[in-house]
Amino acid sequence: MLFLAEAIAAGSLAAALLLIITVLAVRAQRRWRHARLRRVEEPWRGALQHAIEDPHAARLDPIGFLDLPFFIALWNHAVHGKTGDEAERLGTLLSLHGLDDRVLRMLGRRSIRLRVIAINAVGHLREPRAWARLEKLAHEREPVTSFAAALALIRIDPRQALDLLANSIPERADWPLARLATVFQELGPAVVTAPIVAMLLRRPRPGLERVVKLARFGHRERIATIVLGWLGSSTDDDVITAALDFVDQPSHLPWAHGAADHAEWRVRLAAARALGRVGGREELPRLLGLLRDPVWWVRYHSAQALTRLDGLEAFELETLRENARDAFAADMLGQALAERRWT
Amino acid sequence: MIIFAHALAASFLLFLAAMNIGYLVLHLVALRPLRRGHALRALQDLPPAYTGYEPPVSLLVPAFDEEATIADTVRMLLDLDYPEVEIVVVNDGSADGTLAALERAFDLEPFPEVYWRRLATKPIRAIYRSRLKPLLRVVDKESGGRGDALNAGINASRYPLFCAVDAHALLHRDSLRRAAEPFLDDSRTVASGAAIRLANGCAIAGNRVTGVELPRSTLGMLQISEYLRTYPYARLGWARLKGALLMSGAMAVFRKDAVVEAGGFRSETLGAATELTMRLHRLLRDRDEPYSVHFVPDAVSWNLAPEEPAALKRQHIRRQWGLAESLHANSALLGARGGASATLAYLFLLVFDCYGPLVEIAAYAFVLAMFAFGQLSGAFLAAFLLAAFALGFLVSTSALLLEEYSFRLYPRSEQLARLVWMAAVENLGYRQLVSWWRAIGLVQWARSRIAASAPVRRGLPGQERPW
Repeated sequence: MLFLAEAIAAGSLAAALLLIITVLAVRAQRRWRHARLRRVEEPWRGALQHAIEDPHAARLDPIGFLDLPFFIALWNHAVHGKTGDEAERLGTLLSLHGLDDRVLRMLGRRSIRLRVIAINAVGHLREPRAWARLEKLAHEREPVTSFAAALALIRIDPRQALDLLANSIPERADWPLARLATVFQELGPAVVTAPIVAMLLRRPRPGLERVVKLARFGHRERIATIVLGWLGSSTDDDVITAALDFVDQPSHLPWAHGAADHAEWRVRLAAARALGRVGGREELPRLLGLLRDPVWWVRYHSAQALTRLDGLEAFELETLRENARDAFAADMLGQALAERRWT
Repeated sequence: MIIFAHALAASFLLFLAAMNIGYLVLHLVALRPLRRGHALRALQDLPPAYTGYEPPVSLLVPAFDEEATIADTVRMLLDLDYPEVEIVVVNDGSADGTLAALERAFDLEPFPEVYWRRLATKPIRAIYRSRLKPLLRVVDKESGGRGDALNAGINASRYPLFCAVDAHALLHRDSLRRAAEPFLDDSRTVASGAAIRLANGCAIAGNRVTGVELPRSTLGMLQISEYLRTYPYARLGWARLKGALLMSGAMAVFRKDAVVEAGGFRSETLGAATELTMRLHRLLRDRDEPYSVHFVPDAVSWNLAPEEPAALKRQHIRRQWGLAESLHANSALLGARGGASATLAYLFLLVFDCYGPLVEIAAYAFVLAMFAFGQLSGAFLAAFLLAAFALGFLVSTSALLLEEYSFRLYPRSEQLARLVWMAAVENLGYRQLVSWWRAIGLVQWARSRIAASAPVRRGLPGQERPW
């Protein structure tokens, strides 16, 4: 028993000592690296600054194996947000010093961090030699690398990349939709409409809701034609709810009328919003009906919709509230009117 | 007798070893998400998140006798870096001027709001809205405890996510954005917890931590060491193993529909956020619904830890009470479907975190008594105590290594030296004292359970505050 206690004590103390030495080593290594980077960072920044004007005039000393990721990360920051000639000149700086080839080799490194730095760089460089490798990386399971690779492919050739990623974009729930949305917004409707239409027509399950959310960045008319078509044919509540968001003309209102009596409350809610968006005073009876809905959110959005109806004045709404027989409806309308006063 | 004494002492020692090795394994597991976080920093020049898709969040601030701080807390929340929030302060029947302080600072006026009573709460007296800050509403209600106040906040909230925030929490401007990120990246997320850091010794201005420093007092330093050993990295480890059962009430984001379906917070629970998280695990597993609970170590909520022994004792007793209550209310997690992770986490918490302090205290008492009665040798006693110290020291140093590897909040050599020193000192009495307090908490909770069947219910510990 004594041996057991001594063994545990000795083993734990030795391991703790080893950990403390590791802490000190990690700290010392970081300090050394920071000191070194402080020395080289200033000349690197200077070279990048000059390269924006003239890459041939920029002076860049040879970059060692350990320094390369730091320089490329700095280059990524420098090139981020730059377009046209400036981005091209920064790319020329890399090729003049053979760094583009080294970045390509970096794509094969095991470390996720180094790989992502390299992926970003080849994306900024629009490096066609990286396409095959990026295509492979984009289909890997690891979410960080695969998503970075997908974005790099889009940078290199947006149309081809979106065709290639048509299955992954709806299916990869681990790719942040918000970041994809930024990319779609930047690419603009001329580029993204066709792939969005193709994805919508495929109606991927799961993932359709991701495509519908991205659909707002395409040509609205082309997309609305497809999405509103679902209202007549689909029995899927999610699809109908998403489609009702595209109701933006009085001619679409019959779809919203049909949905106002739907069994699923989310559909009724979407219908109430659509009526408030494009309806006029003729929608009053329907919205007053929805104001008595058993679900709080439907009542809330119906009341909000009522305050937005074209041609309906505040005093009329006050009268409606005062005359309402349903206390829930009257209270909700009172809240909506108060909120309207506040905003 | 001697054989029995040795066998039992060896069992105690193995228990302590298993508990500490368990924490070491969790620290090891936490390495992977920390590495991933490190890698994600390389993504910084990728397109920023399009704000249109960040889910709006209702910040719920239960307040009980917070007259002195509530206005500053609300100002801090109004200044958070997040695209769409609303702030709902719930005045839980404060006896001081909490409501008056809010009225003064934000020019409140009664608002004719339709209160949706999705979750049962104590009666609502009034709902106010600020004339100066349209994002702010105040729910004034009869006192019912922290959980009850949060339920009232949920009823009054408009957004699909809510963030429960302690009225004393000091948040970074980006804390909410980071804590809500899992909801953006993973549609199955039902809860996401922030990391608690101790603000003792830090420079604080306008309810924000402006400079990270270590506390001067020994008690403050001991708590820093204790927090590092038991909180951020162990929780990250559990989250990585899909067994994040613990959730801090200081700052946690939840998906509202999941919480409402689960019945909201339990009003009489001390560890309301943890109990709710365990319940969510249990119910969602029972329904075979895919879900995830995250822990975000870089979403930080700074909190001031008590530096008086009496207050610290009360805090540990209450925390242990809350843990025991949450674990026993959700004992069905032991046989829950959907993988072994939650069961494993539950067992670990039950055996090591809940009953561990009792075993630890019993171990020290037994070994010392056996030594006093001559059944154990001085050499064994010394080796036993040294082993107990060394195991604790090992876990503390592994937490220090993870801290050095990831956040490096204490970069100066002098700070590191103090942390290493405290990692050792913490295991020379303080840790045992904390175990003693936690054992008291456990016993008090057990007695309250027995008393609960009697006609008069006993109060919760620290009864001067109902939550």
